[in-house]
Amino acid sequence: MAYRANVLICGGTGCVSGGSFAVKKALETEIEKRGLKNEIMVIATGCQGFCGEGPIVIVQPDGVLYCKVNVNDVPQLVEEHLLKGRPYKKKLYTSPVEKAPIPALKEIPFFAKQRLVVLRNRGLIDPEKIEDYIAVDGFAALAKCLTEMTPESIINEIKKSGLRGRGGGGFPTGIKWESCRKAAIHRNVEPVVICNADEGDPGAFMDRSTIECDPCAIIEGMTIGARAIGAKQGFVYIRQEYPLARERLAKALEQARSYGLLGDNILGTDFSFDIKIVQGAGAFVCGESTALMASLEGKVGEPRAKYIHTVEYGYENRPSCLNNVETWANVPPIILRGAEWFTSMGTGDVSENPWGGSKGTKVFSLAGNVNNTGLIEVPMGITLREIIFDIGGGIAKGKKFKAVQTGGPSGGFLPESCIDLPVDFDSLLEAGTMMGSGGMVVADEDTCMVDSAKFFVSFLMEESCGKCTPCREGLRSMYNILDAITKGKGKEEDIETLQEIGEVMMDCCLCALGSSAPNPVISTIRYFKDEYLEHIRNKKCPGKVCKAMIIYKINSELCNGCHACTKVCPSDAIIGKQKELHRIDVQKCIKCGACIDVCPQEAIYKE
Amino acid sequence: METIKLKINGFEVEAYDKQPLIEVAEKLGIRIPTLCHNPIIEPYGVCRVCTVEVRHGRRVRMVTACNYPVSNGIEVFTDSERVIRNRKMIIEWLLGRCGNVPVLNKLAEEYGIAEPRFGRGTDNCILCGLCVRVCQDIVGANVLGFFDRGPNRYVSTSYDETSDLCITCGACASVCPTGCITIEGLQEGIYKEMPMGPITPIHIDFMQAVPKKAVIDHDSCINFKTGGCKVCVDVCEAEAIDHSMQETEKEVDVGTILLSTGFKLQDGRELKEYGYGKYPNILTSLDFEVLNNANGPTGGKIVTQDGKIPKAIGIIHCVGSRDKKYHEYCSRVCCMYALKFAHLIKEKIHDCEVYNFYIDMRCFGKGYEEFYNRLLREGVNFVRGKVAEISDATLDKSEEGKLILRAEDTMVGTVRRIPVDMVVLCLAVEAQEDAKSTARLFGCAVGKDYFVNEKHPKLAPVSTPSDGVFIAGMVQGPKDIPDTVAQAGAASSAILSLIQQKEVETEVVTAVIEESMCSGCHICVDLCPYNAITFYQDRKKSEINEALCKGCGTCVAACPAGAAQQRNFKDVQIYAEIRGLLAI
Repeated sequence: MAYRANVLICGGTGCVSGGSFAVKKALETEIEKRGLKNEIMVIATGCQGFCGEGPIVIVQPDGVLYCKVNVNDVPQLVEEHLLKGRPYKKKLYTSPVEKAPIPALKEIPFFAKQRLVVLRNRGLIDPEKIEDYIAVDGFAALAKCLTEMTPESIINEIKKSGLRGRGGGGFPTGIKWESCRKAAIHRNVEPVVICNADEGDPGAFMDRSTIECDPCAIIEGMTIGARAIGAKQGFVYIRQEYPLARERLAKALEQARSYGLLGDNILGTDFSFDIKIVQGAGAFVCGESTALMASLEGKVGEPRAKYIHTVEYGYENRPSCLNNVETWANVPPIILRGAEWFTSMGTGDVSENPWGGSKGTKVFSLAGNVNNTGLIEVPMGITLREIIFDIGGGIAKGKKFKAVQTGGPSGGFLPESCIDLPVDFDSLLEAGTMMGSGGMVVADEDTCMVDSAKFFVSFLMEESCGKCTPCREGLRSMYNILDAITKGKGKEEDIETLQEIGEVMMDCCLCALGSSAPNPVISTIRYFKDEYLEHIRNKKCPGKVCKAMIIYKINSELCNGCHACTKVCPSDAIIGKQKELHRIDVQKCIKCGACIDVCPQEAIYKE
Repeated sequence: METIKLKINGFEVEAYDKQPLIEVAEKLGIRIPTLCHNPIIEPYGVCRVCTVEVRHGRRVRMVTACNYPVSNGIEVFTDSERVIRNRKMIIEWLLGRCGNVPVLNKLAEEYGIAEPRFGRGTDNCILCGLCVRVCQDIVGANVLGFFDRGPNRYVSTSYDETSDLCITCGACASVCPTGCITIEGLQEGIYKEMPMGPITPIHIDFMQAVPKKAVIDHDSCINFKTGGCKVCVDVCEAEAIDHSMQETEKEVDVGTILLSTGFKLQDGRELKEYGYGKYPNILTSLDFEVLNNANGPTGGKIVTQDGKIPKAIGIIHCVGSRDKKYHEYCSRVCCMYALKFAHLIKEKIHDCEVYNFYIDMRCFGKGYEEFYNRLLREGVNFVRGKVAEISDATLDKSEEGKLILRAEDTMVGTVRRIPVDMVVLCLAVEAQEDAKSTARLFGCAVGKDYFVNEKHPKLAPVSTPSDGVFIAGMVQGPKDIPDTVAQAGAASSAILSLIQQKEVETEVVTAVIEESMCSGCHICVDLCPYNAITFYQDRKKSEINEALCKGCGTCVAACPAGAAQQRNFKDVQIYAEIRGLLAI
């Protein structure tokens, strides 16, 4: 029975925590109450990516998007849109620049510039129903692989597509598959395929959302990979903190097995393959391939030297093909639509050299001081400016752009001069940062680069496994120096020492966590050396973040003595009578910033 | 294995494909410093001190030499500018953790680091993981592990508790490059159990052992505890070590046998009044030999249980010998070795008072009496009298921890009370526990003290009633080493003369069993004193080995069926003789 309209409500973690399940229930009751039950279907979808504006509701086929919908909006929304057929204006998206609501999803700049390959089914299908996935050509690529293609031709197609590992390293996927297949045949040992869903970068949620909105795509991708390599066993290593993703993936696996798309004799062929979900305990370093495999084996998740590659000796010393969630999700469309289609997106030329360019799209989680935060998928080669200012809607609160950090905690910072840089593996690497798994944090003028570098170094220091000396001791020495600089105790030679530490770490660390860890420091020294010198020489923090170098003051012209600040000050540092000018006692002030947040006059400032 | 060529610091060298770089460099005599590498343990590659530069075509990489597998055509630089810079910083980092570790300070000196930029830490553990790996991978005890992470990483046992799994093998302490692992109570001279211990699981029993070969001690070998280790197998070039070896029984055909099963020392615990086994500082003479041995647990130092040098030692003669309660005989060797002990103690600890308690001195033979006289001059105290009891009944603080000997000094006619730090009991020598059954096995008889009887004390002192079975040493009775050696020489020549003959002279008058008459009761088998009769299960008949039969006639007299007959003395012959004599 056909429905007149579908109401899609986002079921990604962000929107769920914003109450989207309650909204869904309210919608269903409201629709039933209005007697529209047979005309309108309510569907919970995967993450829409527009997480900053959640919970998101989309009405199809009209293509109208509503933001920040709560239960109280539901009756009106149903009445206005579904009964009367006009958009419910109150909850339409309003661009911070244009000030007029944009009802159509396609016209919202956040969505307009995106190109969905990995997230092709986001918001389209119910991720908990494999039938929905099959309806949008799901498993057609697998069928093609099993009936029309040989393992070699699958690998060839992937090689031709120029697909490179989306976990951050950017290693050509086709080559990895080929060497794994060769090792397995050469050693006559059954290989395994592994999906790395141990997403640990703070603030990044590409993999989580991909699984949440389209778990079957991962299953299909891995099954194709297994077919190409000759594996019968697959693992998804997913972190324990992703219950929803894990649940959906488990459901999808169950359904795939019941349809004969996993297990013995897939689609009636002699090919058998199954996938097991393994939970990680949330150690950041377990995202590293050898540490992940150690953890998979039940050992302590610590990396080992990779002079002997995991494609030859990985999990249980078997040839192991480990790819990231996003990489696996890219596989079905490449097989189905061909390598040419895939190479039409992106930069460079991969026909000769697989490292020659970056093809396809990349998913980023856009965060920090931009107006539109959320999950985006963009074609490779898009500029940072397009991402930040078009999709991201510019810097929040009208502040100035200062830097953008890509590649997770061990990525680097890029200044305004790099803003027209095309986003691909090689350009980012050259500029001193990296693609990483797709974290993108935008910093505005109120950010202190030294403090930011210190933040990431401290994160990495805590997450370092401590196995090798340079990572363990290098990060500690870096942190100590940065800490001294932010506290006004920096010395002129510190910058040189930091650079040397960085270089030695890049040379000597055991795994990529350590060798990429100096990036935040090295890149900030490269682009923001002045700020370091300002901290060291003049004991000033230009971003007004480092507490030791700022004091809080009250603008006597603006303060109206409302007492809002005195009520929140935890250290009773603000003195002043009602309706009289307030004053901050510098001795008592702990520089927590609580007063700035509450002052209605914006009279408090840092100096 | 495939051979490949590479260059290290400009020198071309051949190596196996994927051979660890550090091994190849070593072959060239190029030393690459390392802290976390030990050839017996799988390389770990974490200290990164062994970082070197590897160039392959245009690619330049920094790799760790301990676990980098070499490949054809690579060029290695072990001390390029970049390598030195990296190595220096790594040493500085480690000093920042452990500023006072000798191995690091030595490296720092080598690389000209006077003042490390990151200070000097006070820790002792450089987190090389050798102890953890040896415990897990080699020993297999899995006691040690890493805990926490990042800069807070540390080595410990589960929950930082004392682990029941620890087998105190000491492997962790022996591989630790900084010496930060110590084993509690393993100071020099502290031996915890009787006898002596600890000794290494693989050892040569004593320096005079024949054959002088190493043996593995089941009780202390790690492999028999955890199934791990086997380091000895890897290092033994002769490939002589096999942990799966079992005790086997072998059948050897021989013509003659020399019984030389020796003696055992009486169990000191039988003499309750002396408190052996109760007080740790009471030793048997053999315990003292081990303690005093230069290859012993203390390296030959005479020390008490708690590692102190004794100020007074009592040596008691005739413990269990010449004593109606235990053995009436004299053990014959005690006096002389007791004098030797006294002499050695005096030699090693000049100011130590030595008391020898004796019944009377039996310094028989060449040079012995002279030795006794020499000791008298050396200041050894001789007390003629038996010690009545040894106790820890001290009177005041100055005697704390001492052993109190009470003995009647028959020379002076008083009862003496002598506090000492250590007592050596010269326990009686005894026949082996199974002496009786062993003797029976070889057709020999034992006396009342279970020493094997010789055929004749004067005429055949090394022979036994069984032809081809000889005796030498303590199995025959207490005797010292020169006597034993002399007796063994005599026995050997007796054996040789027997072998030289190439044939055995049998008795003329032997017994024989008429098979048709034998009922298979095998009464004769048990009776034969020379083990000459064998019962054949398949035929159910007994048969006499004529080479062994001495013609004693026991079987003939006992045979109920009359099947056993004495040659030349058959019943019919005897009756005929009688008839002849009586002229019937």
